[in-house]
Amino acid sequence: MKAVGARLPRYDGVEHVTGRTTFVDDVRVPGTLWVKALRSPVHRADITGLDTSAAESMPGVHAIVSWKDVPLLEYGHLAALGIPADEPLLAKDDVRYKGQPIAVVAAEDEATAQAAVEAIKLDLNEQPALLDVRKAFDSDAPVIHQWGNWYNHFEAEMDRRQIRKGDIDWAFEHADTIVQGVYRPAAIEHVPLETQVCQVVPEANGRLTIYSCTQALYFSMGVVAAHLQLPLNRLKFVGGTVGGGFGGKVDTATETMCSLLALKSGRPVKWRWTREEEFLCSSTRAPWHMEIADAVTKDGWILGRKMLTLHDSGAYARFSPYGLTKHSFHHTGAYTIPNLAFDGYAVFTNRVPTTAMRGFGVTSISFATETHMSRVADVLGLDPYEVRLKNANRIGDTSPNRVVYTDPSTVPTIQAIAEAMGHELPADYRTMTRHTREGELLPEHLVAQVGNPEDH
Amino acid sequence: MNLAVNGTAHELESGPLTSLLDVLREELGITSPKAGCEQGGCGACTVLVDGEPRRSCLLPVGAVGEAEITTVEGLGTPENLAAVQQAFTHHYAAQCGFCTSGLMMAAHAYVAHGGTADQDAIAEALGGHVCRCTGYVKIIAAVAAVARGDSFDLATTAASPGMTNIGGVR
Repeated sequence: MKAVGARLPRYDGVEHVTGRTTFVDDVRVPGTLWVKALRSPVHRADITGLDTSAAESMPGVHAIVSWKDVPLLEYGHLAALGIPADEPLLAKDDVRYKGQPIAVVAAEDEATAQAAVEAIKLDLNEQPALLDVRKAFDSDAPVIHQWGNWYNHFEAEMDRRQIRKGDIDWAFEHADTIVQGVYRPAAIEHVPLETQVCQVVPEANGRLTIYSCTQALYFSMGVVAAHLQLPLNRLKFVGGTVGGGFGGKVDTATETMCSLLALKSGRPVKWRWTREEEFLCSSTRAPWHMEIADAVTKDGWILGRKMLTLHDSGAYARFSPYGLTKHSFHHTGAYTIPNLAFDGYAVFTNRVPTTAMRGFGVTSISFATETHMSRVADVLGLDPYEVRLKNANRIGDTSPNRVVYTDPSTVPTIQAIAEAMGHELPADYRTMTRHTREGELLPEHLVAQVGNPEDH
Repeated sequence: MNLAVNGTAHELESGPLTSLLDVLREELGITSPKAGCEQGGCGACTVLVDGEPRRSCLLPVGAVGEAEITTVEGLGTPENLAAVQQAFTHHYAAQCGFCTSGLMMAAHAYVAHGGTADQDAIAEALGGHVCRCTGYVKIIAAVAAVARGDSFDLATTAASPGMTNIGGVR
């Protein structure tokens, strides 16, 4: 345990400061072709024609790959978690977001590849787009996804992530006040300094060497193998050096298409997205729409919470059902509310598909809950620190999905914030601990939810 | 056309309108300057042109003329690191490492021009550089350390500046 508490030098520090770290874009393979993509210019359209013949015959163009070239066109990123596939690697019948890839070209240089992209004949029949989650449920809303406008493959084929705990009707009947709030954090682009980039080399032994900026190397390996219908031992992934990811390099954005182009052309290929592509076409943190109604007592107890969440998944499911599940488990934040009615929908829109980003699913509810706690305190005329400490998770309290907390840190965290902010707490709040509730901190409405941490 | 990089003269095949970044990376294989945005917005491609930090992605190589180009490869080697390289290592100022080359070139020029350890002045000097990992705190600490003339123990990492032990979470 010599490393714990020690200030060790980082293992790649000297490589970084001497410019010797080999990022994917720094790999040099002679004879490498450049890759460019034909992307959807509109939010939503039916594809009525795709003709690559003129582009294929251009000098310097070595391969063009469209949906016809993909052995398994649809593969779900989270198939292992039971989330079925809904997204084609390259658009086939329709495009559902601006920037969706339709075909990819490998050519002698960047300018030739771009010229070939522009020579591909694409016919589209533009359709009305759905861009606002709040309109997805309207009877006259365009239906934009094969499953409808929201994900409907949760366990038991539920069309939402639903949590019911305790007796929500009792809570609202016994409340002194109902405090409501609507919270709408926007999409966030990861903006890694290194844009999406991939280099694939077809080896003489039939393998593909794939230099990848992925944050999830074995995950990406599985995705490529599935689309290509190749055994894993045909793929040699080289990764681990990521020029910033923050979740945006969990999706397998480039490796599969580059692999197909390398196989078809028999040449090494490289695809480096422009900054414009990164902003317009790469996945983002999801925008969320959250409505909260809390049943509260005048002395600051939260008896119950009703909540509706609309998670903007963008055009396809990807990681969204998983993110929404995490969100639902955390929907009371760092606080204990015994009576709950939560409904969350992973809504499809014609925006770029959303994905992982640092604590995705949870940051949204943390923002909403913390803002709402202050709102509750405001409405009741109470101290926001005291309302938080009173309702804070304690050892033995249970989460919305009925996990017994054994190590909650809400109480010491709020106390530390109060101290750092110079906020004077009354003695009973200053000395409060995270230990199992008792006395005044175990009112009747919290008794039934307390579990035994020893059983956990 | 000739180009002097890190003390070595190169005869170029690239045309004069090729960006200096492309010449360095694609023709000469000097890969420390990075193509972060290729529109002058991020600073990852920054090199020194006669000692002044410049965006190599926006500079046509034909405009460089007789000027001397310096990249991170010209600062120091692993065995003999320049002060700014030691500082970035010791202060953990490089996280993913992608913006690091450009930041170090700007920092090196700042100190060479007599820049002080004043945090606002450092922030102003590095204002054109984007880092998405660190939050800049450790980068500014590293540059201040170079400006003060600190010496660096590379067998350890410095304590984080401005961090208090929030807590008593036990």
